[in-house]
Amino acid sequence: MSVPPSDAELAKEALAGSDAASRALVARYATPAVNFVFRFVHDRALAEDLAQEGFLRVFQRLNTYDPERKFSSWFFQVVRNVTIDHLRVNRLATTSLDELKEGGFEGAAADKTSSSPEDLAGQGELAGALEQALARLRPEYREVVVLRYQEGLTHPEISEILGLPSGTVKTYLHRARKELASILSSKGWGPA
Amino acid sequence: MQDREQLERWLASEAAGQEDAADAAFAHLFAAVPKVEPRAEFVELTAARVWAERARRRRFAVLGWAAAVVIAAAGSLAGYAAAAPAGAWAIKTGIQLMSHAMPWLFAYATEAMNLWWVAARVGNHLALAIATPPRAAGLVAVELVGIFAFFALQRLVRWELRGEAHV
Repeated sequence: MSVPPSDAELAKEALAGSDAASRALVARYATPAVNFVFRFVHDRALAEDLAQEGFLRVFQRLNTYDPERKFSSWFFQVVRNVTIDHLRVNRLATTSLDELKEGGFEGAAADKTSSSPEDLAGQGELAGALEQALARLRPEYREVVVLRYQEGLTHPEISEILGLPSGTVKTYLHRARKELASILSSKGWGPA
Repeated sequence: MQDREQLERWLASEAAGQEDAADAAFAHLFAAVPKVEPRAEFVELTAARVWAERARRRRFAVLGWAAAVVIAAAGSLAGYAAAAPAGAWAIKTGIQLMSHAMPWLFAYATEAMNLWWVAARVGNHLALAIATPPRAAGLVAVELVGIFAFFALQRLVRWELRGEAHV
C-alpha cells in the first residue's frame, strides 16, 4: 500500500506543471474550502464560486508557497483573503436558519443507519441550532471556531492563518464557545 | 441521545470553567454539524479552470517574450539605420582630434617638467642656506625670546587689572 503524497509534494508537482497533482490538491481541499467560505457567505453557490476563486489564486501564487510551512495554513490564508475581499464589497453579517436552508444547508449528517427517528430528529435540530448559533457569532469568533472545530487546525496554525497572536486565538475560542453556550441555552438547549 | 449528552457535558464544562474538557466536548459536538459538500462536478470544473488559467498565462508569457524580442530587434535595426552616419562621423572626428592633440600634450608635459626641475633646484639651495646649525640656534633663540615676552606681557596685564579692581 503506497503512502499518498503530502500536500507539499503535490504543490511542488503542480508547480512543475502536473495536471494530476493540481487535480489531486483540488479534490483534497474542495470540501474544506467550500465549507470554510460557506460559514461566512451562507450561500452554497457563492461559496463554491469563491472557493474556486481561492483555488485559482492558490495556483497562481503557488511559486510563493514555502514547503517548510503547512500547506493547509497557507491555503486557508489565501481562501480567507478571497472571502474577505468579497465580503468587503458585499457585506454579510448574521443570518437566520431559514436563510441557511435556502443557502444550501441540508440539516444533520448524522449516522442515519444506527439512530432512531427520534434521535435523528433531535440531532438534526441540535445541528441546526448549533449552525444557527454559529451564524450569529461575530465573524472573527466564527472564523476561529470553523478553523479549530471544523478543519481541526491547531492554535498555532490558526494564529498563522489569521495573523493573530496565539493567546488571542485562545481567547477568541473561549469567548466564542461561551457565546455559543449562551445562545443555545437561551434557545432551550440547556441542561434538562 | 448521545449528542444531547455531549451538549450537556460541554455546557457543564463551560459553566465550570474547565477549558480542556469544554474544548474536547465541543469538538465532539461540532463534528455532528453537517459539512456542505460541493457539487459533484466542482473538482472537475475547478481543475479545468485552473488548467485553462495556467494555459492562458503561459500563452501570455510566450506572446510577451515574442513581442519583447520583436520590439528589441526592430529598435536595434531602426537605431542602427538612424545613427550609423552620425556615429561614423563622431568616431572619425574623435580620432582626428586625438591625433592632433597628442604632440601638444607631449610639448606641454615637457615644459611643465622643466619648470618643476627649476623650482626643485631653487628650493634645494634655499634649504641648504637656511638649515645651518648657527642659523637654527638663532631661530630657536628668537622664538624663546618671543614666548618669554608674551608671557611677561600677560602677567603685566593681569597685575594691571587687579590694581584697578582694588581701587
